[in-house]
Amino acid sequence: MMTPKERLQLVLEKKHVDRPPCICPGGMMNMVTAGLMDAANVYMPDAHTDARKMADLAKAVYEKDCFENYGIPFCMTVEAEEMGAKVDFGSTVYEPHVVAYVIDTVCSWDKLPRLDCNNGRAKVVLDAIRILREETEGVPIVGNLTGPISTASSIMEPVIFYKELRKKNADAHAYMEFITDQLMAFGRAQIEAGADVIAISDPSGTGEIMGPKYFQEFAVTYLNKLLDGLQKEKMGTIVHICGQMNPVYKEVNQVHSDILSFDSVVPMREAREHLQERILMGNVSTYALEFADPEKVKALTRNCMKNGSNIISPACGLGMKSPLVNVQAILECLKEEA
Amino acid sequence: MGKKEEYLKRLSDGVVEMEEDDVAEACQEYLDAGYPAFDGIMGGLVDGMNRASQLYEEEEYFVTDVLLCSDAMYAGLDILRPHLPDEDGETKKKGVIGVVEGDTHDIGKNLVKIMLETAGFEMTDLGRDVPLQKFVDTAEEKNADMICMSTLMTTTMGGMETVIHMLEEAGLREQVKVLIGGGPISQKYADKIGADGYSANAVEAVKLAKRLLNII
Repeated sequence: MMTPKERLQLVLEKKHVDRPPCICPGGMMNMVTAGLMDAANVYMPDAHTDARKMADLAKAVYEKDCFENYGIPFCMTVEAEEMGAKVDFGSTVYEPHVVAYVIDTVCSWDKLPRLDCNNGRAKVVLDAIRILREETEGVPIVGNLTGPISTASSIMEPVIFYKELRKKNADAHAYMEFITDQLMAFGRAQIEAGADVIAISDPSGTGEIMGPKYFQEFAVTYLNKLLDGLQKEKMGTIVHICGQMNPVYKEVNQVHSDILSFDSVVPMREAREHLQERILMGNVSTYALEFADPEKVKALTRNCMKNGSNIISPACGLGMKSPLVNVQAILECLKEEA
Repeated sequence: MGKKEEYLKRLSDGVVEMEEDDVAEACQEYLDAGYPAFDGIMGGLVDGMNRASQLYEEEEYFVTDVLLCSDAMYAGLDILRPHLPDEDGETKKKGVIGVVEGDTHDIGKNLVKIMLETAGFEMTDLGRDVPLQKFVDTAEEKNADMICMSTLMTTTMGGMETVIHMLEEAGLREQVKVLIGGGPISQKYADKIGADGYSANAVEAVKLAKRLLNII
């Protein structure tokens, strides 16, 4: 019997598989629901700051037949927090989010502390990866990074940040270099701790917000710098970008990740046409996962497969109230179709 | 082209070209030359912002471009507005806008606010991560005609439905239209929670607001 890790490995090598893997990376792509927390008896916000609880909740995702991977952390605030941003850890239903920025212009980037992997929540994440490495096998461990643009716009006011990409171009690049170096250090430490896959979500670095020119100049450039800076000793990398891809398919195709993941506004068929050579992941509507029934979820899952998705996943982070039976329906359907 | 028209064109072009400083300078010169502030706003600044919206709709401009255009427009408004005659305001439709509790993604919300203000709405911006009760309290206090809410996260979209229930409880539902938008939001979701309308982007939001409030 093939393990989830072996199946994902085959997909990464573009070899034949019995069926697509069912993956939800974590990070921005939240896979924890209220039902799962009850089942695991581990709750947020504790699981954001305690390695044991983080690992246990990640384990529950696989053990309860939701997805075929472990993935941590469960938010996209670790990096910004370690560089000085103030984070509200939310509640059982709200995700952590930044409540106070560190700098007010890209020019002040040299005042930022470097990300220290031996302290704070960066260490919690790495410890949780080590726990998963020790206690599990056969299931890929996905470590998550917040993308360069999203991190940069969590440390300062996004509106000012976007404007300064144009107005203070050279300083904006210096800022992005610094941010990317910190993310790289964290990503490398995650792989060293035992992460098999690194998933980078950059919801703030979209073609819709930036337009093709700035998407290329800032999003693609620093995603690639980050991807190229990770060790070779890993199974693979995922990049998730939000929003319409129509203005930027050409640019997206230059992203050096093994896998590209999109949200539900991107029709899988369209993505497949534009990105024929790429391994695509996605994109079962999270709306359906929260509000529809298992039959509808299965229909959407079959549709994703038919339209060329290589790895089936939710299109975005799961809503906290998504019923467990709906979430489980994706994997159940893939097993039925195998 | 007359001198006034030249100024108006310079204002409009300045907004489209994102030339914040030049727009401010041109507004001052325009006033010094004795032309009315109202025409400068409508025929110059707002005209430029409408052209920027058009370019945005045509995917020539993107969100960052529109934000910079709006900076230029607001720089000009700061100079012209104090010279408007005292009336106005009365007839403007009022709206309250914000990103619902738990979410801090406000780029889209900012864009919608800019476009609604350009279209003549008087908007109160509650910012992001807004406690749900605050939407209702502010709408009541300002005697608002509509509440606009957005979120980019599935985890927080439920707050929109809560606000609608709060409006009902406060007895305000009949007089306040509810408009929603954001990544995970759809017309279907708007229907489900009983919102008056959904729009997929900022340009559509203006059309929707005008339609719901019967503005031609």
